[in-house]
Amino acid sequence: MAKVQVLNVAVLDNPSPFGNPFQFEITFECMEDLPEDLEWKIIYVGSAESEEYDQTLDSVLVGPVPAGRHMFVFQADAPNTALIPESDAVGVTVVLITCTYRGQEFIRIGYYVNNEYTDTELRENPPLKPDYGQLQRNILASNPRVTRFHINWEGCAEKMEDSENVDPAPNAMLPPSCTPGKAPPLGLVPDNSMDCL
Amino acid sequence: MKLLKPSWVNHNGKPIFSVDIHPDGTKFATGGQGEDSGKVVIWNMAPVLREEDEKNENIPKLLCQMDNHLACVNCVRWSNNGLYLASGGDDKLVMVWKRAAFIGPSTVFGSSSKLANVEQWRCVMILRNHTGDVMDVAWSPHDVWLASCSVDNTIVIWNARKFPDIVMTLKGHTGLVKGLTWDPVGKYIASQADDHSLKVWRTMDWQLETNITKPFSECGGTTHVLRLSWSPDGQYLVSAHAMNNSGPTAQIIERDGWKTNMDFVGHRKAVTVVKFNPKIFKKKQKNGSTPKPSCPYCCCAVGSKDRSLSVWLTSLKRPLVVIHDLFDKSIMDITWTLNGLGLLVCSMDGTVAFLDFSQDELGDPLNEEEKNSIHQNIYGKSLAITMESQLSSTIIENPEMLKYQQERQGNPNPNGAQGSGPENQTHKLTNVLNGESLEDIRKNLLKKQVETRTADGRRRITPLCIAQLDTGDFSPALFNSVPILPGSSASTQLTPQISSDSSTANSLGLRPSHDPTTTSPNKTAEENKESGTAPVNSIAMKSTLLLTSATKIEPMKALDSRFTERSKATPGVTSVPVTIGITPLDRVKDGTSVKEPKVKDETSSDSEDKIMVKSLSMAKRKGEMEGGEVVEKRKKGRPRKDAKMMPVSQPFPQTPVSVEKEPSRIATPVVVLKLPTPSIQKSFSTQVGTDSVTYLEVENEVSVVSGARLSQLKWSREGREWDTLLPSRIIIATGSSDVVAVACEDRTLSVFTACGRRLIPSIMLPAPMSALHCSGHFVMALTASATLSVWDVQKQTALVKNESLNPILSGTDATVSQSLLTQQGVAVVALSNGKTYCFNSSLETWNLIADKQDSLVQCADFRNCLSSQDALGSMGPLALTQGRNLSAGRLASRLSSTPHHLQQGITLAFLENQLSSTLILLSASEYRHWLLIYARFLVNEGYEQRLRELCQDLLGPVHKSSSSSWEPTVLGLRKRDLLTEVLPVIGQNLRFQRLFTEYQDQLELLRMK
Repeated sequence: MAKVQVLNVAVLDNPSPFGNPFQFEITFECMEDLPEDLEWKIIYVGSAESEEYDQTLDSVLVGPVPAGRHMFVFQADAPNTALIPESDAVGVTVVLITCTYRGQEFIRIGYYVNNEYTDTELRENPPLKPDYGQLQRNILASNPRVTRFHINWEGCAEKMEDSENVDPAPNAMLPPSCTPGKAPPLGLVPDNSMDCL
Repeated sequence: MKLLKPSWVNHNGKPIFSVDIHPDGTKFATGGQGEDSGKVVIWNMAPVLREEDEKNENIPKLLCQMDNHLACVNCVRWSNNGLYLASGGDDKLVMVWKRAAFIGPSTVFGSSSKLANVEQWRCVMILRNHTGDVMDVAWSPHDVWLASCSVDNTIVIWNARKFPDIVMTLKGHTGLVKGLTWDPVGKYIASQADDHSLKVWRTMDWQLETNITKPFSECGGTTHVLRLSWSPDGQYLVSAHAMNNSGPTAQIIERDGWKTNMDFVGHRKAVTVVKFNPKIFKKKQKNGSTPKPSCPYCCCAVGSKDRSLSVWLTSLKRPLVVIHDLFDKSIMDITWTLNGLGLLVCSMDGTVAFLDFSQDELGDPLNEEEKNSIHQNIYGKSLAITMESQLSSTIIENPEMLKYQQERQGNPNPNGAQGSGPENQTHKLTNVLNGESLEDIRKNLLKKQVETRTADGRRRITPLCIAQLDTGDFSPALFNSVPILPGSSASTQLTPQISSDSSTANSLGLRPSHDPTTTSPNKTAEENKESGTAPVNSIAMKSTLLLTSATKIEPMKALDSRFTERSKATPGVTSVPVTIGITPLDRVKDGTSVKEPKVKDETSSDSEDKIMVKSLSMAKRKGEMEGGEVVEKRKKGRPRKDAKMMPVSQPFPQTPVSVEKEPSRIATPVVVLKLPTPSIQKSFSTQVGTDSVTYLEVENEVSVVSGARLSQLKWSREGREWDTLLPSRIIIATGSSDVVAVACEDRTLSVFTACGRRLIPSIMLPAPMSALHCSGHFVMALTASATLSVWDVQKQTALVKNESLNPILSGTDATVSQSLLTQQGVAVVALSNGKTYCFNSSLETWNLIADKQDSLVQCADFRNCLSSQDALGSMGPLALTQGRNLSAGRLASRLSSTPHHLQQGITLAFLENQLSSTLILLSASEYRHWLLIYARFLVNEGYEQRLRELCQDLLGPVHKSSSSSWEPTVLGLRKRDLLTEVLPVIGQNLRFQRLFTEYQDQLELLRMK
């Protein structure tokens, strides 16, 4: 079971001009003291078509995290407009907040973002080259999409990831029940599988 | 009877597999399938019970929902005290939940339902052991154990007082185990499985009591669950799915002989669940009619795959009521309210139904006292002593008594049947915000929060702690989680009730930003940071854009996958584990409460180093001695630090077993009268006492001086050492903290002080030495001619003089299997026939103190008089001779037909034997141990006369009189102190409150004098 539960994410400064920094006030609860920091990231999806245009707006370490309920505001700069395909600048896209512990992502919170001109004239006749100064960003805060992943809270991520790049030879020694390298399937407690890594 | 289907109790249409009403009747839990996980929901009972509450929007219906289970939840069960909820699911886990009070309601973030959790239930323990879906869980009476059964064919008994300890795994089923029920008397647990069997297990030794297969032979494994139930009087066990003449039944199994002569017939499909009403009823007395003595009866609800529910009274031949078509799918679980008049049923179709009976229909429920008297009549046990509910019927007359009663019940007093709701719960969680409202904090959070940079330039935010978790009693780890605040005293750190202003809370974990770090810089993060904040001129337009038009939604679908797509960890991300990047020292200075594994690592490796050093020196020592000779086996007998781990009851120990407080020795096996002296070795070494630092080394014929061969005795302790030479070869060398004794081949015994000074000229023994022990300043010698001598070398007197072992050996072919000397100088000799004797020098008699074949020992059952500390409390010569696993009623279960009064007598006799044995062994700590058990037994079983006599002896005469021969102490313990310890035990049974008050007052009087 996840040691960290995200209780709430409040979207601050919303809607706001396109160039304003993103601000998310995140409240989470931790079951027990975490020996390591949490890493939070804001990823701006530049284009729905390809991951290529994903921008990590910022990543931040959060810690120390003793057991209890905590909150913080994660502020990150607006996306670099140079990296956004011009055709995708206006319209609906997505911003993702992810959190990883020991290199393993355990929660992904997605928000739809609508970028629109506030000016009716511009809205009807959008310029070919997007005018970011006139764009307004509206995050659909009421409808977050939350995906939770089961991770190994005790073990180190490096082990899990390393094994992906390990020679097949040592893995040949593993019992057949152990699938090295893969994130544990849902419902499987990874503690056991760690033994053979 | 009223019937209600509260439609608001649902899992969004998903099946509900389990339902259970909280013992206080204010709420109930459901378990089943959630959206993509298992789901446990806690609901308010009031809207079910009262229509006006259902309509009142201010009364919450849903109290809490938990989606922590990874897969479908098959069973939810409240503990009997109402403090915990256990849930088991397809994710193979059992979770134990406890109410935690946070600063306010919360929602499950991101879930579609916007219902707030009114109560916060937190998972305090995850029990992992099963390798398959957990199908049923059950708390034992008094919440001592929690049992869970699984499709892995096992039943696991968890220690509910010390999760996640496993008491026992019951193996024997060869099919999926789908139901569990405890005997209300606590003697058995029954399980039903797909292997066409119902098994009853004893809680005494966790062995199979009976295996019932006949009624199930025709059954197919078609039901999801097989929830069986035990009647509240303990007399009947009713199974789920059984077959009789190819018709589905619920089999009734009688406790007496496990006979299967009756069944509940009528359901058209398999019975999935049987649930007995917790109350025992008696016929409602009609006004005016003469009260006829009527037999009490039980009430039982049966649910089936045929979607119907039947309710039966054991006094009627036909069901009281049958309700068809209550659900669209199979009934999965049934729960009764504690008052016995309400019933909740849940179904696979995702709905629940509530049945409300009147007393006219069911009868008059017996109160707890009457129920207990039934139990007492049948089982002879007064269960009442541990039942809080009975207290309400007795008036407590003495404030001290009240105190003990409250202490016994523990702090969280579960509400009675009409408990007044959630506000009774203890709110252990504290708000660390100290006056500042959450809103104020949120306004300034961005400015206030502490942000630092790690050495590689990464941002690090210290989150603001807005609430601490309460310290759940299952999670000692959380105890350390209270932040150590600057200036707060140690005592406040121990309590969770710390409050500090938010800035202090903020500053915890604040650290200088020049933390040394080993991380490689995360490039992307840095670049993004350096791109700087250039706010584009903002147009403050407040038009909220709603994404409603179809054209706008379309691209979102393309994006949907992006939400769930798991990001592949980039190399930059994998460096997270190192990014803490602070040395342990820094952390310590900062005084944060975060556990620092590095610190731990260091300390542990440090201690390992020490161990290494130790073992190195050990190896060295070994090397010194070796020289081609056999290294004495005893060398291995290094005492363990942990007394608990010691093998105490080795019948024929080859190596000396040393006990923490009892530096007594156990000798090598000896055959009496046949010169069974230990063979002479060239060299050997032994340890002295319990401290691992003192050694005796013997080297025989070490040097030849003018034709005479000399043997060397060497004593060493932490570098200090002495040696002495003896003219004859040494057979046995032993020592205590005070003396060292050496027996030589020439039948002499030499005694030295711990510093090597000879105390007595060589003692000439009548026969070669067979066993030699030292303890304190006592020396015990057992010679080959089967005589025993004990000397006090300090006072230079003989306590036992060449006493023959004939009285205990004659007529048997037994030999001495072990011997020891207690610290008080009492010699104890154990024979190979299982009997153990000690020699009492004032009576000059051999006294039998332990007998492994003694039927009293095997039949005495005093386990319910043992408290948890007792298990460890009895270290001493008696425990050593009797063995730790002193059956404790091991055989009692086999004599289950033994009438209770006989067992009572057996136990009483046994306990009195134990007490007198500890007295003769002069073992004070054990005397105290057994005295308390004895007192508890007397209290439990209601032996008032003996209790009074015991108290009188402990109290002694209140007025001093010269004629009194009363000794104020026993074995160095003050009797009145013992009485002070015994009184709280007496205080636990309200029956004895007069006795309690009487002696409490007299003790008080004596204290005043």
